[in-house]
Amino acid sequence: MMLAIFSRQRERPGPLEYTRQFWLRLMVFTTMTMLYAPIVGLVVFSFNDSKRNIVWRGFTFDYYLKAWHNDGLIDAFVNSLTIAVIATLISTIIGTSVALILWRFRFPLKPIYEGTMALPIVVPEICMGVAMLVFFSRVGWPSGGPWPLNLSAITIAHISFCFPFVAVVIRARLSGFNREFEEASRDLGANEWQTFRHIIFPFIRPGLISGALLAFTLSIDDFIITFFTSGPNTVTFPVKIYSMVRFSITPEVNAASTILIVITIITTLLAMWFQTSSRFYKLSKEGAP
Amino acid sequence: MNNWKDSKSVFITTFLPGTVWLTAFFLVPLGFVWVMSFGEKYGIIDIVITWTPNNYLRAVESIYLGIIWKSVWISALVTALCLMVSFPIAFAVSFAKDKWKPILLLIIILPFWINLLIRTYALIAVFRTRGHVNFGLEWLWEKANAGLILIGLGKHQFLGEKFQPLAMLYNDFSVIAGLTYVYIPFIVLPIYAMLERLDRSYIEASLDLGASQIRTLFSIVIPLTLPGIIAGVILVFIPCLGSFVIPDLLGGTNSQMIGNVIERQFKSANDWPFGAALSFLLMYVMFGVLAMRSLLTVRKSEMKV
Amino acid sequence: MASRSNHDLSRRHFLKNTSAIAAGLTFHPFKATAKEEKRLNFYNWDTYIGETTLDDFKSKTGIVTQMDLFADSDELFTKLREGNPGYDVIVPANDYVERMNVAGILMPIDHDKIPNLSNINKLFLDADFDPGRKVSLPYMWGTLGIGYNKGNVSTPINSWKVLYDSDEYSGRISLLSESADVIHMALKYIGHSLNTTNPAHFKQVEELVIAQKQHIKVFAPDNGQDLLASSEVDIAQEWNGDIAQLMTEDDAFTYVVPKEGGLIWQDCLCVPKGAPHPENAHAFINYVFDADVGAEIANSIQYATPNEAARGKLGDDYKLNPAIFPPDEVIAKCESTLYLGEEVQRIIEDTWTRIKAS
Repeated sequence: MMLAIFSRQRERPGPLEYTRQFWLRLMVFTTMTMLYAPIVGLVVFSFNDSKRNIVWRGFTFDYYLKAWHNDGLIDAFVNSLTIAVIATLISTIIGTSVALILWRFRFPLKPIYEGTMALPIVVPEICMGVAMLVFFSRVGWPSGGPWPLNLSAITIAHISFCFPFVAVVIRARLSGFNREFEEASRDLGANEWQTFRHIIFPFIRPGLISGALLAFTLSIDDFIITFFTSGPNTVTFPVKIYSMVRFSITPEVNAASTILIVITIITTLLAMWFQTSSRFYKLSKEGAP
Repeated sequence: MNNWKDSKSVFITTFLPGTVWLTAFFLVPLGFVWVMSFGEKYGIIDIVITWTPNNYLRAVESIYLGIIWKSVWISALVTALCLMVSFPIAFAVSFAKDKWKPILLLIIILPFWINLLIRTYALIAVFRTRGHVNFGLEWLWEKANAGLILIGLGKHQFLGEKFQPLAMLYNDFSVIAGLTYVYIPFIVLPIYAMLERLDRSYIEASLDLGASQIRTLFSIVIPLTLPGIIAGVILVFIPCLGSFVIPDLLGGTNSQMIGNVIERQFKSANDWPFGAALSFLLMYVMFGVLAMRSLLTVRKSEMKV
Repeated sequence: MASRSNHDLSRRHFLKNTSAIAAGLTFHPFKATAKEEKRLNFYNWDTYIGETTLDDFKSKTGIVTQMDLFADSDELFTKLREGNPGYDVIVPANDYVERMNVAGILMPIDHDKIPNLSNINKLFLDADFDPGRKVSLPYMWGTLGIGYNKGNVSTPINSWKVLYDSDEYSGRISLLSESADVIHMALKYIGHSLNTTNPAHFKQVEELVIAQKQHIKVFAPDNGQDLLASSEVDIAQEWNGDIAQLMTEDDAFTYVVPKEGGLIWQDCLCVPKGAPHPENAHAFINYVFDADVGAEIANSIQYATPNEAARGKLGDDYKLNPAIFPPDEVIAKCESTLYLGEEVQRIIEDTWTRIKAS
């Protein structure tokens, strides 16, 4: 009966072509507008010629120049990015191994293991931040050292809370895997590693990407845990922003954010371009059994 | 599911990374804090571990339980809102043409790579009395008013004497809206991952058999994507419960969540043992819920086999 | 304060030494007899320094200053209580100086290395919270009062009543968000000393603020001046310098210390124990106390400088600004916070939790 409503359309969307249906498009459009409106406002007001930045007073690039020359801001941003990249890589590896073991094996005390692996998700961030602070100071972790080694404390803390999230996402993906493929592969003589590489890994790849994206977002955005584990010369972007906006948010912060957004878009587009489209789509088609 | 003894080497390989890391860099630090929750303050910064239960006894006083209850309510509401908003989006992206998928995903993820504090301040600029929404509404009001005056109904002042801006900031509304805004991607990604591997033929079969789209949605799609939904719900509800930055920045005089109280214990109150006790209390509850869920899953999968 | 047991002495001793050694190892790969690296790690509030001060310091001495930011004194304290992560100069407020000193986190400052100390007003060379100024030196001082929009109030404000006990401007007022600030000023309004330790007084404050909460728009974390500027509120409890800065941009606003009295505070420069570059720290403090440098700082941030020589170099719009330099009778009614021990801190925090939860 729903389909009848849309029979007036020029080319009727098929029953599964949800994305072409009007109501879904409307819902998605509205949601995206609401998601982006504050950000568009943010970007637009970065050009505002007013220190208080409440009403529009005129167009200027001044704050971009200020942000560009703000060494502290740039250093903080580079730190954030470095930490996020390293943390994402390692978290994805650890998270995958955890997801695999939970999916594949029965072993004693498994529910306890599962629960413990979920602990980093459950623990309030501030509690974990304090725990890391206490830990690193009691253990005497070296906080100096050349870049990027001085970021090690923060990176370790980030990995600790990122990998369970990755594990959850990959596990959800794995639960749909048809084990017959795996058995067939083994019957045909492949060893464990080959099975993993050619059968399991391509299947979980969308999950890996989702999980990695999640880990990256968590790491680059993290404020509380980073705050407790950072010291001089290891300030990250959110921590820097937090202390800047406590007083008043001038368009300089908007400008810095806009630059960050632009860099993020460019980096991601590049990453996607390198990953040749045909290979990506072939694999994701393979993913659906 | 294999028994671990069947392929010991694989088991060890997948067992070691997570366990070693978790123990060294999570359980041990947490252990320090757990021990601290049984301690007492001694002087300004020293803590003596007297194994006293006082901190926990204080943590279950009615005032703190009340705050926890309120936080649970807000988190549940935020989770429900996130789910309602994210499901259509995940759906739309999953059923889009393949060449659009990465782009759509990117468009959804992008806002969430922008720093949380900045997004919160952007939200403030949208919600405040002289913010974008109120500016827009004021413009509409003036146009409508002008229209009324034009047709001679001006003096009745149907729309009120002056534009009344909406109070959208510094109250529970802004906290809930802010939290939803921040946590949406944590639901979209798991649901999308599940939808991706959903066998389309199930939906086709259901539609062929005469079920409506809505019935198909509730009877086929949702049960099949349930693991993704549950993953998403956990990824939102639990951090939301412990959040404090957004209630702090967007909330009014009444918006205090348990995260704010815990944060204060570690900072201005300088009462680390009590803060540790409060956080652990919260964690024990959440841990119990999670353990229950995993027990249920084990029983279900055992039944299936 | 209670005497420490030997057990704790040795534990803290161990901690201190470990962090000192760790800091030493990381920042001085060779023996400490070598000259200090030309770096300074400065931990400060945001924009709480002149616009060109750090660059000028570098031109003059070649020392590169890295300024990290904290958003409130609690943050500063939390960061340093488990050991100095590597900061040379920090800027705590007076009550935190006391607290940190009791906790043993601060290093004595060698006055001989600070010849420019002679520029400082003699009144500031001694203080209740740091007799003889052994561990801290004055940076800026000011008051806590009320900033408001002159055009949007019926009569000029002169009392805390309008914030704590009145529905006249319901929904158009804001208080600070630090427990101590709100509660101390409420105590002044009721008529008690803000350094009281009587739990009954705190109970009165609790009831007062809970009753008033419905009229308060928000507990603003130090951005009251933004709320005023954006017309979110018309009356805000705020620090004098923030309002003074606002006043230079827009003269619709003004600042007043209410008749019941306000808070007088002093931000100080301190050198925490375990600082990797104590020599540079002293050089920096000396530089800041220079008359011209002090004048530039004071002019940028619009707070009251204890540096007499610097003050002499500034114009009347700074020197005679009642928001920055309140008249003596106002100062007489203001009080400074003393550190009264952890029990009182706990009462304050519990009161605040109850206020926010009701």
